[in-house]
Parts: sequence; structure tokens; C-alpha cells
Amino acid sequence: MVGLSLGEKNFIKGGIAQDIRTDGRKRLTYRPIFVETGVIPQASGSARVKMGATDVIASVKAELGKPNASHPDKGKVSIYVDCSPTAEPTFEGRGGEELSMELSTALQRCLLGGKSGAGAGIDLSSLSIVEGKVCWDIYIDGLVVSSDGNLLDALGAAIKAALSNTAVPKVQVAANASLDEQPEVDVSDEEFQQFDTTGVPVIITLTKVGRHYIVDATAEEESQMSSAVSISVNRQGRICGLTKRGGAGLDPSIILDMISVAKHVSEQLINKLDSEIAAAEACEEE
Amino acid sequence: MAGKISNTPATYTPSPTSQDKKRPSIFTGSDWVRPDGRGLHQCRPAFLRTSAVNSASGSAYAEFGNAKVIVSVFGPRESKKAMMYSDIGRLNCNVSYTSFATPIRGQASDSKDLSSMLHKALEGAIILESFPKTTVDVFALVLESGGSDLPVVISCASLALADAGIMLYDMVASVSMSCLGKNLVIDPVSEEESYQDGGLMITCMPSRNEVTQMTVTGEWSTPKIHEAMQLCLDACSKLGKIMRSCLKETVSATQE
Amino acid sequence: MATTNGSNDLSSEMEVDAFRRLFPLRFHERHLLESIRPDGRPLGRARDTTISLGAVASANGSALAKIGCTTMLAAVKLEVMTPKAESPDEGCIAIDFHMPPICSPLVRPGRPAEAAPVITKQLTDTILSSGMIDLKELSLVSGKAAWMAYLDIYCLDADGALFDAALLSAVAAFSHLQIPVVSLNDDGRIVLISEENSGAMWEKEPVNKEKRKLKLESVPFSLTCLLHKNYILADPSDEEESIMETFLTVVLDSSFQLVSLNKPGGPGLAHTSAIQDCVGINKTESERTSEDIG
Repeated sequence: MVGLSLGEKNFIKGGIAQDIRTDGRKRLTYRPIFVETGVIPQASGSARVKMGATDVIASVKAELGKPNASHPDKGKVSIYVDCSPTAEPTFEGRGGEELSMELSTALQRCLLGGKSGAGAGIDLSSLSIVEGKVCWDIYIDGLVVSSDGNLLDALGAAIKAALSNTAVPKVQVAANASLDEQPEVDVSDEEFQQFDTTGVPVIITLTKVGRHYIVDATAEEESQMSSAVSISVNRQGRICGLTKRGGAGLDPSIILDMISVAKHVSEQLINKLDSEIAAAEACEEE
Repeated sequence: MAGKISNTPATYTPSPTSQDKKRPSIFTGSDWVRPDGRGLHQCRPAFLRTSAVNSASGSAYAEFGNAKVIVSVFGPRESKKAMMYSDIGRLNCNVSYTSFATPIRGQASDSKDLSSMLHKALEGAIILESFPKTTVDVFALVLESGGSDLPVVISCASLALADAGIMLYDMVASVSMSCLGKNLVIDPVSEEESYQDGGLMITCMPSRNEVTQMTVTGEWSTPKIHEAMQLCLDACSKLGKIMRSCLKETVSATQE
Repeated sequence: MATTNGSNDLSSEMEVDAFRRLFPLRFHERHLLESIRPDGRPLGRARDTTISLGAVASANGSALAKIGCTTMLAAVKLEVMTPKAESPDEGCIAIDFHMPPICSPLVRPGRPAEAAPVITKQLTDTILSSGMIDLKELSLVSGKAAWMAYLDIYCLDADGALFDAALLSAVAAFSHLQIPVVSLNDDGRIVLISEENSGAMWEKEPVNKEKRKLKLESVPFSLTCLLHKNYILADPSDEEESIMETFLTVVLDSSFQLVSLNKPGGPGLAHTSAIQDCVGINKTESERTSEDIG
């Protein structure tokens, strides 16, 4: 919790109303984003994203597994977020659990699409190797190292960067396997396949303070919010998920307005992220 | 003989012989035919009753098709000892399923997630300032799952809160919608939910025209979200009227 | 306390509700002197009982039982298991009693009620030892497959006499249980035969010829009595249970044979004559209840 005096609270609210926030940003400007990829060598892909003092790490691990009986032609993706106790004193012990779960669910909702798998940011059918027998299980782990607001957007960006950093080994399937047996697979350790991340959406959280809403709120600004809406938008400008993060009620027309603002912001954010990721990849290769 | 319970062997539910669990192929243009014969934009008939549990401060029972839910509200009562002082009241929510709620035993969805969703849907509607230092507990039990469980739980919980005399800005009504191919179906049953390409749930306070909670999954275009939101909001205000009349009935029944 | 004399105990000076809350024991004892209880019942009378069958469609058998305000929802779900080697042609029953947080202000989520496992054990002992259900009836293919009946009882509203209500709902759920038509497929698994495709599937001999009900040999009926001084209070409410703490539970079967007798400690001791009285009340009340339910 941020302990703010009445004057500080009014300063934050007044600044937002006049479109100059305490750190000099406008309402719809992000803090500078730093992306670093390949931070965890053991993982199939990883990335670290910093937005101001918010610092998160995402890692991707691919393992061979068996598809679910209900979706034999699809792989499985699980997303789990952990809040490090070092990030904030309240995360100590079991304090971070609720937030971890909330973030995990929000990310799953934003990235994995509907129950039938349609509209997923990660194409689950591309993870299938032998229908009904073998598929890739993707484990995405997020870690909040330091928290200064806007965790969901940062995690979304980190996962997008980690996925584009991910190389899945090519798999050869022995052709002679009969129908009942588990086919033998040969995992290549030389040939890798890049993960297609063009469909992975970005997440934009609009925090409502007073009568206006801002993007990329800091922890101080978040403590003054009346409500917040997280919207994930993909490259085509379609909505892939939306969660309202509690707080007071909102007029439906405001939500629609927020959606259109999010779409507008998403274009800039996607381009920004793409160039940052490309720069980070280039930096890593050197 | 009591020993029979221990080391229970692995069991399974016998599955039907015909394995036509495939998605019906209605996506080639024709309209979706709903399993219970409803129209696409027609909600299930709702049965609501307050004061279902005598030992609670307030409670409600809701039945939407096969979905059956009981919600009890306790409090405002003393907060847990470990809680810090707070000049506004606290809301504590919990949702659980009976083990026979789903067709296959013990296959209920994640109740922790539902509990936090219920909390978020209600907190915007409760006047927390009216019971400082204390906690209101909202406990829900899904007796039978029949699709759109969370919206049913939310609407039922708001009725139970009103029954308990907790101060609310307005009743909270919740409706969900499934996107199946090009069709939008309102208040989906479990079967439809399992096929859905996208889902949208709205929780709103009908008389204030405010949305307290909204979630969207799957890929949506903006016009489609517009359409779905409008349909859900209309259904919410209808549901809100039903909930109001249910409360009025209880009051007039006790006055007689 | 300044005054201990019964006639001089403030009861004439304060409002009934306040007296009830401040001196609950004396409040109840004043009633007992007049041979009536706060809810207007005579001492040996149980509360009104209702049962409705088929409350849950997702179970194979279910029932909702109410004794006064105490409400129990019981449901039986059938699953297939491989019978144990020592009893190849017997099925199995697993009983679980739950007290979800909705039922009482004392139960909080994450901390299960202490009473629940006790009642689970009592129910299991009573149902299995009463001989109500012949476990051989649950057999499908000897040594290969048998039914495992999961009986789950949820307390929806706790207002005393939980065990009586739980047993009543359990018996009712078993009486409503319908065993589905199944057959053994080529892989040795049991599959359901639904009505619409039964024609096509007829070449495979079904293990169960038709939907059938369990034969209930004898039906146990339980009545809990509160013992307080010389008084015997049948079917106590939650308030009575919390004030006076000596219980005696008698379970008789349909031919009035004793199935179980339970007196779990408590400050009071039970006279043999009191036990006989409890058995007598159980007889009259079980007749009255079965008339009630019809």
C-alpha cells in the first residue's frame, strides 16, 4: 500500500485531470519500455520487461505431452504468475497469492481465447505433433520482481517477448507406429523452429482516476483508481479478452469508449514492442 | 464394514456408447439450434426465492434451468483477528460446488477463481461505508451446474445481500453470452459453453446503468461487442425487475 | 448471580427476547416446567418433516429432506469400479457428509466443521450395518465390474438434529436411485445405453436389462433426544442443542429393531428408563413421520 497524504492524492488527481501526470507523462503515454530476451538460459525462451520501476520476467518451457481427450488436435498452454516477496512487502508469505491468481487468470483469459480455442493468441493446433498422441505442452511462468503498477500489461509484454524468443526443437515421428501405441518421437537438438507470435495480443489496462482514464498507471496512481479495465487487442485490432478489475461501476458507454481508446493505443504499443523485441534479439545475438 | 470407505478403488463414470461429442456443424450458415429449444436471445426461465437458509442473516435460492444455487450471507460480523483496522467494511466471498454438481463427479471448475470474480462483481454495489470495521460474508454453493453458473451465483448473491438488509446502491444482475460461429446466444447452457468460440459476461446495476464487472474471452470485433453488450444489458434489466418483484413478494408475505 | 430462586429471576422484569439471550438455560427450564418448548412443541414431539425426491438432475438419485428448518440435500452418483478380490460380486457405497459454509454462521470456508467427519462415520456405520442395501445388488459382472455408489449429503441449513435429517435424506436418495442400463463393451469397459440408440446396440447383451431401483430391505429411522435433568426433548433445535448438551440418538429399522444407539458423552448420564423412553418416542415419531411423508 502506498501511504499518501491528502495533498499528494489531490496532486495526482489534479494532474491527471489536466493531462500532466506526476512524472510528466500525458494520460495515454507509456513509460519507456526496456526489453531483454534470453535472460534464463535453461528455458526455451525468456524475457525481462521493465516499465519504470515495474520489473517482470517471463519464461517459456516446452515439453512433450499428451493432448487432452477433448481436444486431440491441440497442444496445451498453461500460464502461471508468481509475485516475488521482494517486489512488495505485502507479497510476503501468502499475501501475493491472491494477486498471483488474479494475474494468471487474466492472462489466460487474454491469451488463450474461447473454450473451443478460437481467437487464441497462441495457435494451439500448431503445437500438435501426432493427433491425439503427442503434442507440445507450453508452460509460461511469469515472475514479478519489482512492482510499481501496471503489472498485467508488463507481464503481457514479457510473455509476448519470451514467446518470440522461444525456439521449439523440430520433432521427427517414427512412421511405423501402429494406431494404439504411443509413437516414438525423435527430438532434434540442432534444428529449431521459431514460435509464431504474430497473433499474440498486447494487454492494455486503462485505469480510471476521477473522470479520466490513463494507461500504464504507477502504484501511486493505482491507489487512486475508481476502477480499471484490462483489454487485450491483437494486431488486427480485434478484442481478444477483457476483464474489469473490480472497483466502482462504469457506464456501458464508457466501457465502449475505453475499448476504442485501447485499440488506438494498442497500435503504438505493438509497434513499440516489436522494435524493442527485435533490438533485444539483435543485442543477444551479438 | 466401515472399512469399505478407506482405500476406495479407482472408479469411472460410464460414458454413453455413441461418442458424438463433436461440435455440431452448424457453422456453415444455418442457425444454431439450442439444446433446450430456446430462441437465440431468450433467457432461461428464472426461479428466485429469498430466505432459503434460516440460520443465515440473509439468503437466496436461484434456479435457472438446471443451474441451482444457494447463497447465504452472514454479517456484518466481527472481522478476523488478524485483519487490520479499516474504516470501511470488508466483503468476503466464497463459491463452492457440490461433488454431484457436474455430470462427472468432482469435475467442478476452479472455485477460487469464481470467488474472486464474485467479489469483484459485488464490491461496486455494496455501500461498504455502512458497516465499518466489520465483515460481510457471502457464501455460495452450486447445487447443480447447468451453464452460466457464475452469472447465476452473482444475481443470487445480490438477492441474498438485499435479503440480509445490507445497504446496496442497486441490485446486481448478471447475464452471460456465448459466441458460436456467427451466432450470439444468451444465457448459454453447459453444452453451449463447452463449444463456445468466445464468451462475454456482464454484471450490472440496472437502475444506475452501471457495469460492475465485465469479462470477455475469445476474439471479438468491436461491432460484435456492441451488439452483445446491448443484448446482455437488456437481459440484465429484465432480470433486475424479476429480482425486485421477488423481494417485494417476500416483504408483502411477511407483512400479512 | 444475585438471584437463583426460580420465581424471582428477573423474568417478569425484562423482555422475553432479552431474557432468552441473557439466561438461555433458565429461559428453557421455565418452558420445560410447563411441558412445552419455545417453538410450541410438546417435549416428545419431532418437528414437521418433508421430503422431495429428485432434487438434482445430474445425480442418479437425490432427495431433499427437511426437519423443521434443518435441510439436507443427498445425492447418489454411480460409478463403475473393479470389485475387490475378497468380494467379487459386491458393489460398494462411499458416504460423505459435508457442511458447506452456507449452512451455519459457525462454519467458515477453508475450515471444515468438526461435526462433519463425525456424522460421516455415524452415517456409514448405520447405513452399512442396518442391512438396508444388499451390496450384491450393486454387482454388474462378477469379479470385473460393480457399481460404486457415491452418496454425498450436503447440509444446506443447520438447525439441530443433523444426523436424523442426514439419515432421512440418505434413505430417500437411495429410494429414488435409478440404476441405468449399461453393457460391457469390447474393451472391458462399462458403457451407458441411451434410449435413442438402444435399437442399434441391442446385439450387445445389456448387463442391466432395464432401469431399476434398489430394493431397500429395511429402512432405518433415527431420532435424537436431548436429556436434561428429568426431561427428554425429542428432535432438538440448534438453540436447544447449544444450551443442553447430553444427546441420545436411537436408530430403529422398519420392524422396530435397534440398529444403533449413540450417547456421545455429555455432562448428563442416561438412565436405562430414559433410554427406553427414547426408543418409545422413536417408535411413535417414526410412525408419524412415515404418515407425514406418505
